[in-house]
Amino acid sequence: METEKLFEITAYTENQVGLLSAIAGIFTRRSLNIEKLLVYPSQIAGIHKFKIITRAAEAQIQTVVLQIEKKVDVIKSYYEVDNERSCREIDDVRQFLQERETESNNI
Amino acid sequence: MEQKITGAEAFWRSLLEEQVKVVFGYPGGQIMPVYDHYWNYQAQIRHVLVRHEQGAIHAAQGYARASGIPGMVLVTSGPGATNVVTGVADAMIDSTPVVVVAGQVPCQLLGKDAFQEIDLIGMATPITKWSYQIRRAEDVAWAVSRAFYIARTGRPGPVVLDFTKDAQAGLVDYAPKPCHFIRSYVPDPQVSESQLDEAARMIDEARKPFVVYGQGILLSGAEKELAAFLEKGAIPAGSTLLGLGALDSGNPHLKGMLGMHGNLAPNVMTQHCDLLVAVGMRFDDRVTGKLDTYARQARIIHIDIDPSEIGKLVPVDLGIVGDARKVLAGLTERIAPRTTREWQMEPILCDAVEKHKVIEPEIQPGTGEINPGEVVACVAEAVKGEALIVTDVGQNQMLAARYSRFVRPHSFISSGGLGTMGFGLPAAIGAKIAAPERTVVVFLGDGGLQMTFQEMGTIMQEGTDVKIVLLNNNWLGNVRMWQQLFFQERYSCTRMLNPEFTGIAQAYGIPSLHVETREELPSAIRQMFAQEGPFLLDVHVREESMVFPMIPPGSSVDEIMLNNEDWFNYGD
Ligand SMILES: Cc1ncc(C[n+]2csc(CCOP(=O)(O)OP(=O)(O)O)c2C)c(N)n1
Repeated sequence: METEKLFEITAYTENQVGLLSAIAGIFTRRSLNIEKLLVYPSQIAGIHKFKIITRAAEAQIQTVVLQIEKKVDVIKSYYEVDNERSCREIDDVRQFLQERETESNNI
Repeated sequence: MEQKITGAEAFWRSLLEEQVKVVFGYPGGQIMPVYDHYWNYQAQIRHVLVRHEQGAIHAAQGYARASGIPGMVLVTSGPGATNVVTGVADAMIDSTPVVVVAGQVPCQLLGKDAFQEIDLIGMATPITKWSYQIRRAEDVAWAVSRAFYIARTGRPGPVVLDFTKDAQAGLVDYAPKPCHFIRSYVPDPQVSESQLDEAARMIDEARKPFVVYGQGILLSGAEKELAAFLEKGAIPAGSTLLGLGALDSGNPHLKGMLGMHGNLAPNVMTQHCDLLVAVGMRFDDRVTGKLDTYARQARIIHIDIDPSEIGKLVPVDLGIVGDARKVLAGLTERIAPRTTREWQMEPILCDAVEKHKVIEPEIQPGTGEINPGEVVACVAEAVKGEALIVTDVGQNQMLAARYSRFVRPHSFISSGGLGTMGFGLPAAIGAKIAAPERTVVVFLGDGGLQMTFQEMGTIMQEGTDVKIVLLNNNWLGNVRMWQQLFFQERYSCTRMLNPEFTGIAQAYGIPSLHVETREELPSAIRQMFAQEGPFLLDVHVREESMVFPMIPPGSSVDEIMLNNEDWFNYGD
């Protein structure tokens, strides 16, 4: 068995009703306990940020994060071992949104 | 300026924008404004009145899987909505594009336990790709086009719209709001060139590569690309249950169906290959058997449009996220042409054993009661691969998959991931409506047929030409089989006392035949196909029949039972 660790999961999302329970459901169905949960406006206007701390095996967290990101209204999701996080994500998200905007202009 | 219209009318206009031709539905209080406006749209959109909302959703699934176009369901709130939940879950796990619109109580009554109020979004969230409550008439056009866009793009799936009664009644300046883009949603991820290069290198280096593919091939329209890839690389392949039909059954590279009741060769080859290339499949446990031993000797490449599938169950050496058609085309371009591989005895030996020990005893028993597989083989003989085969769940499903032949895609429709009994009959109705030019045959057991038998009424009313083949064993056959094999023959609650099915068919005005003997079978099948319109063929099959080969649950995919006594041993 892979050992369990504390992970910090971040998700940047659109501000849509129902996303909280959609995301919580991904944890519930695996009986993963959410140790800490914060939802607040991010530095980018109109975009919300979830911070979720949970204890699990890393392989499981990888799938959890991808399943969070799979939700239509989730923009990006990341995980890191708690307390070791870098600050690059917000730039990532900005860049992603910029690319998407260019793409949408080309449609 | 145009006059304002109601949300209910905006709904039908939005469906026309989405080119919706058919709606499967059932009316009720909280959706009545929408049904009322249908009166003016009857000429443009066909409404199929089912007999139970579960019938509507399965019919929409059958429609979607036969055509590739999202199926559309319209139901009322409360019980109407809960009745579709099974099918929504089924569509989710089988990646089927359907859009379900349900009525909902007016906004001011939400959360107050109003008559026929349920928290549909709460119920639907875990089993939909997207769900949304429409609370204002202004949102109708936006929500409908977004629903269809999400349902059909990327990895397809079900979408639920919860349509409050005041949004139906409210007035709006209608304008279409087509949806081609959602910034948080990437349905067609860019395929990485360097990963394609690396995959091609791995394939070129492999001595015994093996491809396992699933419904992703059909969903992305990658049938030709798959065939070209296998041909250029001389790579053998196995199909999942839902991948059937993606390759012609006669394709020399196709070694058969994977999984619990699949063919010996592809299951054994999974354990003997040095490179496993999985495309558009999700390593369901009915395919992998015991995960700890699954293809452990091989390097693994997994290609899927859904990033969350990569590494979910099987650790992979290389995961490529992308549309199967693009990835396969890119790989075919890159790999070196080959005429042979080091595969030698595995497929030949496996096929010989399976033919002798399993197939011949099943489909050519010579004497005794009719075997269910024999009926499938007889039908296959008659339709020559041209029919669209639909199944229910259980032994009938596995035998239909094993003994049907396919010469073109979208020819096999079955409830895979959820295994929903009752799927077959309504799915066949939807499939026939989507593909009226095709012969549609549905195989069912006596248990599953009775789960949605009421849809005979829909068949009667719509005159839907489906050929219903009942493999009647008077048991919940698949469960009975497990009781025999794994529960010391304690046949708890699996015996069925059945009605005379032909009598019921007659009451619905549907011609039918009851067959007891082998001699009657071919002519009965001929009669069924000779006659235009729906037909029920009730075949009394061997009551204690089994489906083999079988990989018992929890076993490795090369631990295979051939019959009640023998196990397959490769190399013996
Ligand atoms: C809705 C639902 N309930 C129960 C089951 C469990 N189950 C799987 S196969 C089966 C027996 C099916 O019997 P029948 O329809 O007669 O088909 P047969 O296996 O005899 O071909 C049952 C009960 C299921 N798959 N779906």
